[in-house]
Amino acid sequence: MLRYMLRRTLIMVPVTLFVSMIVFIIIQLPPGDFVSGYAAKMATSGEIMDEQAMALLRESYGLDKPWYVQYFTWIIGILTEGDFGYSLSYNRPVSDIIGQYMGITIIVSLVSMVFTYVVAIPIGILSAVKQYSFFDYLATGFGFLGMATPNFLLAIILMFISFQWWGDPMLGLFSAEFTDAPWTAAKWMDLFKHMIIPVIVIGTSNTCELIRVMRGQMLDEMTKPHILTARAKGLPEWRILLKYSARAAINPIVSTIGWSLTTIFTGSTITAIVLNLPTQGPVMHKALLSQDMYLAGSWLLLMAVFTLLGTLISDILLAWLDPRIRMTRKGT
Amino acid sequence: MAKKWVLCFMVVLMAASLLAACTSNNSGSNGNKGNNGANAEQSPSPAATVKAEIAPEAPMLAELVKAGTLKPVEERMPVKEDIMIEPVFEEIGQYGGEWNFPWNGPDDKWGISMATEEAMFRFKEDGTSVEPNVAKGYDVNADATEYKIYLRQGMKWSDGVPFTADDVIFYWEHMLIPETFGKALYDCYYSVNPVTGEKTRAEIVKVDDYTVKVTFKDPSVLFLERLAIDNKWFFAPAHYYKTILPEFIGEEAALAKAKEYGFEDLKNFGIWTGYYYWLYPQRPTLRAWVAKNDMNSDRFIMERNPYYFKTDSEGQQLPYMDRIVLTKMQDKSHKLLETMAGHVEVGSFDFTDYTVLKENEAKGNYRVIPWSTPNWSSTGVQLNQTTEDPKLRALFQDIRFREALSLAADRKEISEIITNGLGEASQASIQKGLPNYQEGWSNQWTAYDTDGAAKLLDEIGLKWDAAHKYRTFADGSDLTLTIYREDPSDNEKFIELIRKYYEGVGLKTDVKIVDQGSFFDLKYANKIPVTVKTVSVLNVAFRPDELVPLRVITPWFGHYGLYTSSQGKEGVKPEGDVAKILEDWDKLKAAKTKEEVQKWTDDIIKLHQKNQWVIGYTAPTPGLVVARNDVRNVPSLIASDETRYIGHAHPAQFFIKK
Repeated sequence: MLRYMLRRTLIMVPVTLFVSMIVFIIIQLPPGDFVSGYAAKMATSGEIMDEQAMALLRESYGLDKPWYVQYFTWIIGILTEGDFGYSLSYNRPVSDIIGQYMGITIIVSLVSMVFTYVVAIPIGILSAVKQYSFFDYLATGFGFLGMATPNFLLAIILMFISFQWWGDPMLGLFSAEFTDAPWTAAKWMDLFKHMIIPVIVIGTSNTCELIRVMRGQMLDEMTKPHILTARAKGLPEWRILLKYSARAAINPIVSTIGWSLTTIFTGSTITAIVLNLPTQGPVMHKALLSQDMYLAGSWLLLMAVFTLLGTLISDILLAWLDPRIRMTRKGT
Repeated sequence: MAKKWVLCFMVVLMAASLLAACTSNNSGSNGNKGNNGANAEQSPSPAATVKAEIAPEAPMLAELVKAGTLKPVEERMPVKEDIMIEPVFEEIGQYGGEWNFPWNGPDDKWGISMATEEAMFRFKEDGTSVEPNVAKGYDVNADATEYKIYLRQGMKWSDGVPFTADDVIFYWEHMLIPETFGKALYDCYYSVNPVTGEKTRAEIVKVDDYTVKVTFKDPSVLFLERLAIDNKWFFAPAHYYKTILPEFIGEEAALAKAKEYGFEDLKNFGIWTGYYYWLYPQRPTLRAWVAKNDMNSDRFIMERNPYYFKTDSEGQQLPYMDRIVLTKMQDKSHKLLETMAGHVEVGSFDFTDYTVLKENEAKGNYRVIPWSTPNWSSTGVQLNQTTEDPKLRALFQDIRFREALSLAADRKEISEIITNGLGEASQASIQKGLPNYQEGWSNQWTAYDTDGAAKLLDEIGLKWDAAHKYRTFADGSDLTLTIYREDPSDNEKFIELIRKYYEGVGLKTDVKIVDQGSFFDLKYANKIPVTVKTVSVLNVAFRPDELVPLRVITPWFGHYGLYTSSQGKEGVKPEGDVAKILEDWDKLKAAKTKEEVQKWTDDIIKLHQKNQWVIGYTAPTPGLVVARNDVRNVPSLIASDETRYIGHAHPAQFFIKK
């Protein structure tokens, strides 16, 4: 087991480097570079940048050098000093920017994740137990609706309702009076109020998927012989459900929990833009659009690392949860 | 038991949804309470201003004076005779309140800059000439070679340090000439020899603490107007820049400073602190509001400048509003939403938002104030006169082809579909009331006459293809007009409409969608044949870029501009009437009197009228300023970059009426 983990960890290193290089190339693939985009943006607000000014900017950002020079300067900076480079559009170190948005991003993601599991798992179990009942159809119906509705559309609908009824579209995560205030109880309350829409929106798409997965797994598990045995022995129904069926059924959910790691740190993007949430998503979206490659590159690199780490964690968790997997692993 | 489960679950679900509804409901009323609270806090100030004698300063500053942390208002402002009295548009105002100003973050820096700019000389209300602003006044000699600019005695920077002629000279000597902020020395500082065309840099010297003298070798009659456009802030706080510029503290210490500000190199540090200076709380300014925190915060705050040099006619120091709060919005629709919810005191919008803003006017408790624009049209087409394909270039340069395109479209229909009928059927031309207006121009080639267009195309020699569907060149080769759409700024609907008309007269069209950055690059590379841009010119003498090919900028003249900016090394040599425009421009620059300037600008405009390089279909639509109903002194003026959009309304005198 330990050897397996070690080997997996070692493989991660070249994979990460490879991903980082591909990411760096792809960001620069579109025509133009950061400076031409910036100059165009300034031109729309009346500032005219001539060739000379643009050349000066390119030189100061090092954009006049070939991509591999830029890439190696960047990657060596990360490896030797932990310096993720410099954001061209913010004119600040990348780590500063990622740090600024990290707290809120994690809070929003974690709360929506908890929301997802707390809602999805019980509903999944229930609709399996009461298969083909009214409740099952209701849950299934909502499940499919939720999966089919794009998050941002749901966000727009909820914003519209909020605007129509209360005259406030509930943008952002704080009311104006709390944004700069210290963290008091009132501010937390305000934050939670503003989090209702984002959490529902971000949470539902996953919720619906999880309901389906949970329901299917439960249906499989509930007919297994050991369940029959347990029932024959007279164990209470709820104990059979929770201790035997649910534990086995939760397997696929656990195996994907590691992948949520990426989501936790990056947050959602389009929904966050629609709802004007101060999280990582919109910042990175902008970075990608404007070819702010060190910021975008660092973010994509982090995503890759988190995905790899997540997979590793999932594997370990699974091995711990499911004796069958543990057994096969020991065998190899 | 299972039933119980279901029941429990239903209860939980219902409770959850109820809770959600309740809490959001609360938030709505909380928001209101918050507002009321703020109002209640500020209510003492109007009472004080109305009943007792007029308070000379804002309550928030009076408190600081009382606490002894701030000097009394008389000591903070210029000497009495030199205080600038800002006329109000409607009524004398009351202190207090915040101006919520949604922005997209530092990329939107110009919007907030314009709202808070203090120029040495600013444009008068009608936009035709300038008046002193930071300067107290000026004298100019008869042949316009010597300008004396007088400053205000006792005027101070926002940190209380005196503002004197030294700050102007410092800016000139240590920032403008060495180009510390990434801009080449502005054109307004050069005069042109009428005979040789040689450019000479001005001499700028200090006369006394409150006077500077600008001397030109040759007459420069438009110096003040061009200064008001090129380099409105003709001054910089010497005491601040002496602590950050490498010239004074050395490269190493400057780099350490740059790192402190978050920069990695000196160039960008110089550009941002020297050019986009209003975003930095460390940098003293002369503006009514000064930065208070990091511009990258979710809420960037600008607070009143206690040393601001203007009062209203009752002697109350401006500005009326305490703070500007810039909340970061990811998308421009958020600004619209917040405005419709009545959360934005004053905001500016494009005409595209007209319908939705009007629909919600009563509900959102605001008013939509239309501002006129110096645009030539609201919908139109520009053909690149120097486009790469030689056959296409010859066609575009043929005046008959431009006339045919103009006749081919039903302007009434465009007006109804694209502008809700607000932009009337019209040719691209100068609007009545603006300089160089030409009678009758707006009706040139405006009939909807497809037969006439067909006749013109026949005359040019364009043939039909075998199917008689599309026109071809005389030699039978394929003729396609490729329209480039810049996303998201160009109007998609209009492009579809205009393609219909062009195809109607047998001209094959194609559309390519590119983002802003690519559009910019393609324009520089002369790869864009057809665009749907218009031009916006307040006065061609002040800002010639869009009408005179001086550099690559406006699509219609393409690489003629590059020819001028590279002094003939690259680009396409201008010929015919385009060359004449450039000659006129050279004569204009060397003009000795304003009458001469007028003559040459008229000439340039008449050449445009004759050639109609910029084709328009509908008259310009207004720009929109939205003011909440309790915000007063928001006028309707001309919206242009030259006059600084909302800044032209002098936001220091906006106030929230209680």
